[in-house]
Amino acid sequence: MKRPGSVVWSVVCCLLLACSVSARAAEGIKVGVVLPLTGTEAQFGEIEWNSFQLALDEINGAGGIKGKPIELVKEDDTGKPDVGRSAMEKLITQDKVVVVGGGYSSSVTFAMAAVAQQRQVPFVVNTGSDDKITEQKWNYVFRLNPPASEYPKALNSFLGEVVKPQTVAILYEKSNFGQSSSKSFAAQCEKMGLKVVLKEGYDSGAVDFKPLLIKVKAANPDLLYMVSYLMDAGLLMRQSKELDINPRLFVGGGAGFTLPGFYDNAGKAADYVFSATLWTETVPYPGAKAYFDKYQKKYGHPTEYHGAEAYACMYVIADALKRAKELTPAAVQEALVHTDVMTAFGPVKFVSYDKKTQQNKLPTYLVQWQGGKLETVWPKEIATKPAVYPVPKWSERK
Amino acid sequence: MREHRIPLILLALLLVLPLVVTEPYFQHLMILVLLWVTIGTGWNLLAGYTGQVSFGAAAFFGVGAYTAGLLSHHLGLSAWWGMALGGAVAVLIAFPFGWIAFPLRGAYFALGSLALGEVMRQVATSWESLTEGMVGILIMQTFISKLPYYYIALALAVGSILLVQAVTRSKLGYYFVSIREDQDAAASIGINTTKYKMISLCMHAFLTGTAGALYMNYMGFIDPHVVFSLHDISIMAILVAIVGGVGTLYGPAVGALIMVALQEVFRSAGFGALQALTDAMGGGFMTVVTKYVSQAHVLAFGILVVVVIMNLPNGVVGDWARIKRAFRRG
Amino acid sequence: MEVFFQTLVAGVLKGGLYALIGIGMTLIMGVMGIINLAHGQMMMLAMYLTYVCFHFLGIDPYVTLLVSVPCLFLVGVGVQKYTLNPLLKIESLLPENQVLMTVGVGMVLTEVARFIFTSNYVSVKTSYSDATFFIGGISFSVALTIAFGFACALTAGMFWFLLKTDLGRSIRAVAQDAEAASLMGVNADRIRTITMGMGAGLVAAAGTLLLPIYYLFPDIGGPFTRKAFVITILGGLGSTVGAILGGVTLGLAEAFGATYIGMDYEDMMGLVIFILVLLFLPGGFKRLTKV
Repeated sequence: MKRPGSVVWSVVCCLLLACSVSARAAEGIKVGVVLPLTGTEAQFGEIEWNSFQLALDEINGAGGIKGKPIELVKEDDTGKPDVGRSAMEKLITQDKVVVVGGGYSSSVTFAMAAVAQQRQVPFVVNTGSDDKITEQKWNYVFRLNPPASEYPKALNSFLGEVVKPQTVAILYEKSNFGQSSSKSFAAQCEKMGLKVVLKEGYDSGAVDFKPLLIKVKAANPDLLYMVSYLMDAGLLMRQSKELDINPRLFVGGGAGFTLPGFYDNAGKAADYVFSATLWTETVPYPGAKAYFDKYQKKYGHPTEYHGAEAYACMYVIADALKRAKELTPAAVQEALVHTDVMTAFGPVKFVSYDKKTQQNKLPTYLVQWQGGKLETVWPKEIATKPAVYPVPKWSERK
Repeated sequence: MREHRIPLILLALLLVLPLVVTEPYFQHLMILVLLWVTIGTGWNLLAGYTGQVSFGAAAFFGVGAYTAGLLSHHLGLSAWWGMALGGAVAVLIAFPFGWIAFPLRGAYFALGSLALGEVMRQVATSWESLTEGMVGILIMQTFISKLPYYYIALALAVGSILLVQAVTRSKLGYYFVSIREDQDAAASIGINTTKYKMISLCMHAFLTGTAGALYMNYMGFIDPHVVFSLHDISIMAILVAIVGGVGTLYGPAVGALIMVALQEVFRSAGFGALQALTDAMGGGFMTVVTKYVSQAHVLAFGILVVVVIMNLPNGVVGDWARIKRAFRRG
Repeated sequence: MEVFFQTLVAGVLKGGLYALIGIGMTLIMGVMGIINLAHGQMMMLAMYLTYVCFHFLGIDPYVTLLVSVPCLFLVGVGVQKYTLNPLLKIESLLPENQVLMTVGVGMVLTEVARFIFTSNYVSVKTSYSDATFFIGGISFSVALTIAFGFACALTAGMFWFLLKTDLGRSIRAVAQDAEAASLMGVNADRIRTITMGMGAGLVAAAGTLLLPIYYLFPDIGGPFTRKAFVITILGGLGSTVGAILGGVTLGLAEAFGATYIGMDYEDMMGLVIFILVLLFLPGGFKRLTKV
């Protein structure tokens, strides 16, 4: 056998490393944030992190919490559940944070929420949308954003009051968000008396969606509902145009369809596409427009609903810290339970309904691309433009 | 007894380590290392000793993990039953795969095993009624403390090394190596090559599947992209073995330590040291550096592979003498 | 019927593109007997070159072929010369070291691209990106049709090159028996280097032709590497005609699988074919066509 001495050395090095890491002196209140800062979801992670910091600067600038500033400890989950889990453990055991915010993708958030619950540190979820996250009776997990099944709330009322379609085709990406939200949308359609003529998943990254779209064309639905991320969304619309598919409306189920990159990729094919969204800068909440402008000014590019969620999350956490009797996880949890605060993302109050606990209830919105701009079209009260419906046939567009 | 001295001292060290280093974060890293020791050792048995380079470790890992998860999810049993069954189920998958793939040689076998991993991932993603698809499976961990997991992982790692040691000292090991050296020659002297390759594959599958089941119990969450990942499992298993030393008993153990440490150093940007430096110095430059470093672990892996294959074709353990010489000269 | 014909057209056109990706791989596998697991990553590199030319210099992707193909030829040459050829002389337990090396090279290429371009998706929008023409109610994508034409032309070109030129003959000689070829005075290392360069150049052409209708991010290479090896196994090692048959078969299988079984199974189709070929037609289409 060769010398195993190297093992000893490596262990020693590892131990030395372990000892050399000493927690930095903390004078502020430590709050953890876990987001995907690298990897394929990094784009959203960055928008959210920027928004966290924007809110942090405002809160600390206004004197912090009881005279103490908040200190954010950020961790990168790289978009992977196991890494997210260890990041959460590190925040709790090593950095000793009193509360954690963030949580982007559903699966990572789900895995992290279990850690938070087990170790009794409150976790304010601001994006992870799988319904199951707040259906576990976990009293240390709070969610600011609506669950995936409620994303199409505004769409449903729009369909019921205006469009009254008969048939629907559902295409979804095989991801946590795609699989769970398409399932709940299909159930909602059945309830509204809509016939689901086609429901099919696909792997993200397909070159050619035509086989799928040919079937959509043959089924000729009134409504085509797609749950896709950015680039698949663009390809789906471009290829729908190529195949001359003309449902009465194209609808995206959140995620990719509201991003500027969608219009860049799909070009004119993106026009008249509807999408469910959780927030637009025109919502009637105090600070919404101001947040949008401040973000644009500070970072030089526009923000969207993910950013608003993160921005609001920071304020909800600050509010709870202010009201907490002492700065321990248990006291902050207690304070979060009684949250009742208005944010740029909407009113936040953690309530229980159906199977969910500690879930914030918010209305959602319907937007539509019109001439390269995303316009809010439903609910009517806050619409910036009337909805264009039914969408013109491809052959009738210029 | 002499030849066992160093491993025994090391084992004793590892037994007391978590009692000394109580920081759960480092215990977590050590559990990861031990998990990779098991997987890497299993891969090494198939590839290093028997010469069948496989890109399919994830298939067995995932099957083991899903066995544990599904037992708990559908039958309400404790996921710990998966520790007993995960390896066995992985072996059940290994049989038909071996039957199809063993007529293939070298690179073709590698491709076949790569396809196996991908097929398993696809099945797990699409078969929603069984596996919940990408929604994944979540169980609550049995223990909050890391210690039980640490000792189970340690037992598994030590067990796998002992298994490989026993195999290499038996006739079985002799057959394995003769297949690696020259399969046709081995066949011509009457060794049933398919049979022994199958035995090697099954041991690999068993170890990897059991490690997968432990992963489910420890992490509490799996989805198809996590446990059937080509990069994060199959290729990582290969890296662990080749960096440490293919065809050496302790190679995968050394490789596991190096790889996990490397990954974590980069991910946390030098355990937060760079961030601290950034805060101290201020300025945009260091922020950019920190950001790049934390993204660079895959790049580091890639460079490490290139460097190791070029300069240390037998890994750190296999080429230890050469490394020592280089340092003396330097 | 329309569904059937539209699926057929979609499958064949996509197959042409796949063939182009596969030809490079089949050459490399035929000559060197190794799988190039960095194949898709080389294509990714070519796509970024195309993106840069289009985005910053405003050069049309079809013109960029003149840039991306030679550049990737050089990349391929460099990879072979500095990382793979030296390995032939290094003693090691596993002959698959070269394959593992390509994995490492692929990782480095992907991560370098990530450093420069970040993980964000980018795309190139041209006037023909979603242009179509219709024949009897069946839609043809202009860009894919052009790519298909290129694939056929390049295959024919490669076929002629391997059969009729001196260099082509040397390549075939090394593919058949490297040692014998060396004894006949062929510099096997040099042939390997050129082959790798040509393989990279061919996949660069595929990437450049694909970009206008697709999109790009650093991790795009992996899935295409996998498609390339399925095509190669299907077509038979070193067979250019086999590669185009393999590419079209894979395209058709994916399209028909997606239409008649379900888009869920699109990716699985290729792997199933792969396993079936290994079981029932080892050697691929080359066994049937003999070229």
